[in-house]
Amino acid sequence: MTLLAQLQLTDSAFPGGLYTLSHGLEAYTQAGPVDVGALLEDVLLHAAGPGDATALVLIHRAVTAGDWDAVVETDRRLHAIKLNREIRAAATRTGNQVLRTATLVFATPELARLTELVETGTTPGNHAVVLGAAYAGLGVPVDDAVIGDLYAFAASWVSAAVRLGRLDFRRAQATLYGAGGAIGLAAAHALAARGPLDLHAATPVADAMSAVHERAEARLFTT
Amino acid sequence: MHTHHHHHLDHDTPRELEGVLKVGIGGPVGSGKTALIEALVPILIGRGHSVGVITNDIYTMEDADHVKRTLDGVLDPARIVGVETGSCPHTAVRDDPTMNLAAGTEMLRRFGDIDTLLYESGGDNLTLTFSPVLADVYVFVLDTGEGDKMPRKRGPGITDSDLLVINKIDIAPYVRADLEVMTRDARRVRDGRPVILTDSLEGTGVAEVADFIASRRPVWSPSA
Repeated sequence: MTLLAQLQLTDSAFPGGLYTLSHGLEAYTQAGPVDVGALLEDVLLHAAGPGDATALVLIHRAVTAGDWDAVVETDRRLHAIKLNREIRAAATRTGNQVLRTATLVFATPELARLTELVETGTTPGNHAVVLGAAYAGLGVPVDDAVIGDLYAFAASWVSAAVRLGRLDFRRAQATLYGAGGAIGLAAAHALAARGPLDLHAATPVADAMSAVHERAEARLFTT
Repeated sequence: MHTHHHHHLDHDTPRELEGVLKVGIGGPVGSGKTALIEALVPILIGRGHSVGVITNDIYTMEDADHVKRTLDGVLDPARIVGVETGSCPHTAVRDDPTMNLAAGTEMLRRFGDIDTLLYESGGDNLTLTFSPVLADVYVFVLDTGEGDKMPRKRGPGITDSDLLVINKIDIAPYVRADLEVMTRDARRVRDGRPVILTDSLEGTGVAEVADFIASRRPVWSPSA
């Protein structure tokens, strides 16, 4: 049952609005030619790994230990390291929506507690935080949870690349499978985190691209 | 008494959107969804309602910006927002409407007086339907320029919507569309559900659309 619940949460059909995000890819494609596979690896290693994946691991541990102060601290710091408005808005919009559906579907006390904290404005409820709490409550082991979530991110990335016309549907699947090494490294990095201070992101080009995207005249994606 | 089949007070509706009539407006690209909204909003405001508009633009903020320009002085531009869908519009209003629910929730947190939320779908095909969680009332907009065979082609948008609007009746003679044929076919495939003919630019039929929406306003709404 644990595996089934994890599959359901990582499935792109689980409603959370992920299809509205290109995770920065659209801005790069508007700026010029881009190697989608290489960029995906960079994003996994330098943004998703030390950011969302690390937060997911820290939240999983904190929720398992019942340390809700650590949950709030991690969520707030994750929010703070997301520099662009559109990135922060997307992370909390998708997170809050997944929280609502997951709380109804899985009905775990951990998700109910997180809902309380989000509704009172105590914590922002970022996407990675909601998933960390969901997986912890469902008993999904932390290493499976982080690998699965990074896979879901990469799958969402290549899906955006198809819609942006940068990969055909077969190349997209080959790119996704080819990202396995980077997913493993990003997961290992996240699992090595000791506390919220290990959350970081140093992606100046991506941040500048995202800033340009916020004001783009035409765009298909929210991020 | 309202006999509508959607469940207004079930737990699927975000708390902020309870008491708000959510109207989904869908239809093919260019059929006049934006024009209908621009004609409808002043009527709803004139009848004492407080309105918010959420547009689902496929690629630009064109629709949101157009509505803002047209309703300048009528509706605060902050009450009109665009949502990028990253995909075919039906995904954003039917399969996974969470980003539209989020946009609606955020708008109600900002403007708690809103009692009517208009959701404009990006232009789509005849199969478009709205999730009952997102829209209490679903209006489908066709226009005469698409050809008078359209109602016969059916599709859930045409057959199942709460209201079918046939717009641009003024150009019917120029595109050789027979309004009588369109209306007759529409009524035949819709099992008695209403059909209204409009010319949104001149305002013809738009008050009737407002009447229809009023008839679906449930009793708990503060301005019902």
